[in-house]
Amino acid sequence: MTIVVIVLLLAGLIFFFATTVGILRFPDFYARMHAAGKGDTLSSLLMLLPLALYSFHEMNMANLLVAVKILLIGVFIFMASPTATHAIIDAGYEAGIKPWTKKPEEESENDLAA
Amino acid sequence: MIWQLDLSVLTLIVLCAFATIMVKDLLSAAIIFGAYSFLMCLLWTEMGAVDVAFTEASVGAGVSTVLFFAAIYQTTRMVRPRRSAQWLSKAVGLTAALLTGLVLVIAEKDFPDFGNSFSPASLHLSPYYITQTLHDTNVPNIVTSVLADYRGFDTMFETAVIFTAGLAVIAILRRIKKNDRYELPDRSVISEGYPDTIIRFVTRQIVPFIQLFALYVVAHGHHSPGGGFQGGVILGASFILLAISYDFKIVLGIMNEKTNILLGNIGVLIYAGIGFLCLLLGANFLDYSMLSKVLPATDTVMARSHGMLGIEIGVAIAVMAIVISIYLNVASHGKYDKGL
Repeated sequence: MTIVVIVLLLAGLIFFFATTVGILRFPDFYARMHAAGKGDTLSSLLMLLPLALYSFHEMNMANLLVAVKILLIGVFIFMASPTATHAIIDAGYEAGIKPWTKKPEEESENDLAA
Repeated sequence: MIWQLDLSVLTLIVLCAFATIMVKDLLSAAIIFGAYSFLMCLLWTEMGAVDVAFTEASVGAGVSTVLFFAAIYQTTRMVRPRRSAQWLSKAVGLTAALLTGLVLVIAEKDFPDFGNSFSPASLHLSPYYITQTLHDTNVPNIVTSVLADYRGFDTMFETAVIFTAGLAVIAILRRIKKNDRYELPDRSVISEGYPDTIIRFVTRQIVPFIQLFALYVVAHGHHSPGGGFQGGVILGASFILLAISYDFKIVLGIMNEKTNILLGNIGVLIYAGIGFLCLLLGANFLDYSMLSKVLPATDTVMARSHGMLGIEIGVAIAVMAIVISIYLNVASHGKYDKGL
């Protein structure tokens, strides 16, 4: 049980790290939001699941309640985080931010926009 | 307490505070201020003040950030450089801040150390609450019992302060006449988009659960962190979410101006009314133990618990109505036609 918890927590940490690197290194707004939305959701779930498992180490009612509450937070994040990402990207699209392409003259333009 | 964690969070808080002041873009400043509130909330959780952290998370990071956004949307986004007397005002402000800081640092020396078990508060007041609360009021959450029972008078006027804030916002911003004299040019902050199906659908699914959670926070404030303020703010925030992502008009249909003001009044009235009921029954103002004469099948201890629940409900109603009212006024510039 403890090993599963540790492995899942480490996987969550790795995904959080990848998210952070993605936000910092990706070239434009859309790619950054792509990293933030997907990575954040998955790594939060990967962190919450082992926490629920860990609090459930002993079978009784109180531990079960704590585990269920943590999982409910996970459900909420699973719904809210992609929607928030979608909303931000939608707002960016409407504000007229152009997606990044490999052409050099647009690259400099997008660096200013981002 | 883990001092390494405390130190790193505190460092980030100070950095956020500086960034909030330095940033020229007010929208960014509002977001950084939200991050500051969340870090503050982390710090308080880490110090064991979970109720305060909960309030900070719902009020500081949640609703006030949205209110800042609404205000920025209605005014201007960028800080404009001042034309004259810039250095003079900066020098005066810096001197005032430094002097105040100096006074605070000097005064801080007379305080007992953090967590000192021989300070007056830890010798007399805190032990009484810790040992006697459950016996006196049958409420396990000491913070709720101190807030709503032992210092109920203080909390009543906190509710009155929030009510007054709502009234002030209405008095300043609300405009009945349909003149657009104050239409400001910078509307580019948030684009007025078409209705988005995904956002609308998810909002529709989530809002009932948010409201259910808010009611749980209000009703369960005796046993877990939470209470009237947090629950009321979450209820108000659910309506604000509806107004932002669904439709401004729908919220106006549910909670129009009259309902809001009425509910704010009723909330404060419930609080003060319970106080006066205690007075009528021959006890002190807000001494809930006498309510056992009115409530069936309660002794004086359980009556205090029920009295707290009553005033928490009053606080929640008032705070919800005032938060919604402030948002509607700020976001629509007092015209109640369209918001963010």
